[in-house]
Amino acid sequence: MLRLAVHPVRFLLLVLALVLLAGPALAEPRFDDPPEHSADGGFTLHWEAPGAVVLERASGPDFDDARVIYEGGDASRVISGLPDGEYRFRLRAADADEDAWSDRITVEVEHHSLARAFGFFAVGAAVFLVLIFALLRGRPRG
Amino acid sequence: MTALEEPILPTSVAWGLLAAFSILWVALGAWLGRRNYTAADHMLAGRNVGLALASATAMATWVTANTTMTAPQLALELGVWGMLGYSLGALGLILFAPLARRIRELMPHGFTSGDFIRLRYGTFTWRVFLGVSLIYAFGWLISMAMAGGVLINALAGIDYRVGMTVILTVCVIYTLLGGLRAVIGTDFIQTVIIIGGAAFLAWMTIDRVGFEAIHFDLMEERPELLSLLFPAAIMFLFNNLLFGVGEIFHSNVWWSRAFAFGRNVGFRAYLLGGLLWLPIPIVAGFVALATPALGINVPAADMVGPLVAAEVLGLTGAIVVFIVVFAALASSLDSLLAATSDLVTRDIYRGHIHPQASQEAQLRATKVIVVLLGLLTWLAASYRGEVPVVGSLAALLYFTGAFVASAIWPIVAGLYWRRANPQAAAWAMLLGSGLGLASYFMIGWYVAALVGAAVSLVVMVAGTWLFPRPFDWDRLARDDHDAPAGRDTPEVAT
Repeated sequence: MLRLAVHPVRFLLLVLALVLLAGPALAEPRFDDPPEHSADGGFTLHWEAPGAVVLERASGPDFDDARVIYEGGDASRVISGLPDGEYRFRLRAADADEDAWSDRITVEVEHHSLARAFGFFAVGAAVFLVLIFALLRGRPRG
Repeated sequence: MTALEEPILPTSVAWGLLAAFSILWVALGAWLGRRNYTAADHMLAGRNVGLALASATAMATWVTANTTMTAPQLALELGVWGMLGYSLGALGLILFAPLARRIRELMPHGFTSGDFIRLRYGTFTWRVFLGVSLIYAFGWLISMAMAGGVLINALAGIDYRVGMTVILTVCVIYTLLGGLRAVIGTDFIQTVIIIGGAAFLAWMTIDRVGFEAIHFDLMEERPELLSLLFPAAIMFLFNNLLFGVGEIFHSNVWWSRAFAFGRNVGFRAYLLGGLLWLPIPIVAGFVALATPALGINVPAADMVGPLVAAEVLGLTGAIVVFIVVFAALASSLDSLLAATSDLVTRDIYRGHIHPQASQEAQLRATKVIVVLLGLLTWLAASYRGEVPVVGSLAALLYFTGAFVASAIWPIVAGLYWRRANPQAAAWAMLLGSGLGLASYFMIGWYVAALVGAAVSLVVMVAGTWLFPRPFDWDRLARDDHDAPAGRDTPEVAT
């Protein structure tokens, strides 16, 4: 039978190394399961952070036009009403250096085509008109 | 669970309000239900509800937690069209007006929508209908319990599960005590609170923020919300209308009222209730458009209404929202608990388990079922955000849209088309629900009801046209109060 024998000192050193490696990662805010696409211009960004964060949005990869859209201790933000385009978001701890962004994501917004939208609209209107007709004409016969 | 930085309502105030209104609703339930001696008293309030109470209960029940909390969510996600689209739900009530009259004429002794489907279409279609109806009822119950928990968490920072448990428990208790009579009586008071509170909040929001600031900040931050060519919102318009129609046409919440209202009251009550309801989602939803102007962070879309109100009005706003939403929640939760327990009692307990159950046995069963429904709802609502469909209020609500919209045509055809085919009715619901659900996952939540209704229409018309099955309308009135379930097949007229 295989027997695992680890010296207690080595074990402690291993744990210490893991803690030291994991420490900085846990302290930095990270997006949690970020979306990649949206067909209605909206989504919710969730993040994990030990304290307050700064969240910025930009339209280009170099974040030239970045602006703060949230600063505080909440853990998520609903984004909505965006037109077609690629949107960049970045996150840092509120008390970190201004350039110390800990996570970045890109979300592509591509709305349904208007042809599809009006197609569904037309189907809905047709069903509704048939319903009105059925109710107006609906006196039982026989 | 999404949490806010700092609660707006002090915990002690929140608990005080919860306790005060809990005592009020439970006391009213006990008082109003003191003359319920039989199952018919408990389930149908003596079948003689007058116009004022009837209109109030129609409107108040339709002003749900979904109206007061999902309407702002839809405004935040789908903009102006989302808000207006939600108000089209009023057409469900208005179009049910002629149906209510027809139902009362055809089945003067009827109890549930299930009774009608069983007698009209036979056992197979009845069972499919029960499945559709119970999925919807359960989804609606969970969404309202969730709304209660979200509200209390958003405003007072009280744990979501604790708040949800308290609200659900209160509604179960007073529904248990008072039956439909208590439900209708409390609805009247709740209507006054809802209309007054919602109007006050909208007026204060406009007064404090102003239209110009709202418009400017929306154009800067969320421009699609003001676009008339917002594709998802265009798809949503008729989806929501048909969802509302499907909810009302099939649900025993509305059928039980059609049976309970006095003769010639149903038509006017539903018409008036619908017209009164029309502006409520616009008023409730509008406040969400002020979010960018106010610089509020919305951590979860279904929290936006309470957050804006509290931001604009501070403690007073938080208290008003708390009371309004608690009233809206209670007025709908109680109705749904009562109507669903009636459906389960009549169509499952009496229909499938104990066909010879006496009135007293049914009354006892109704009460046990109210408690069981409350427990199941509590269990499911406890997993908000952890189960895919039970994500946000809108996501859960519109999931049920595929089911209910597919029931529109079986109901309309059953009431008005003498040759409606029973098998077509069952398949209209099955295929409509199936394809509606497929579209929910493949396209978006904003098309599920629309697809369900369209498929259901095609199946119902084609089935009836190809295989007509004449029906004797008089059979409904003849058999509606004593036909044992499980052996009925639609009778062919001779």
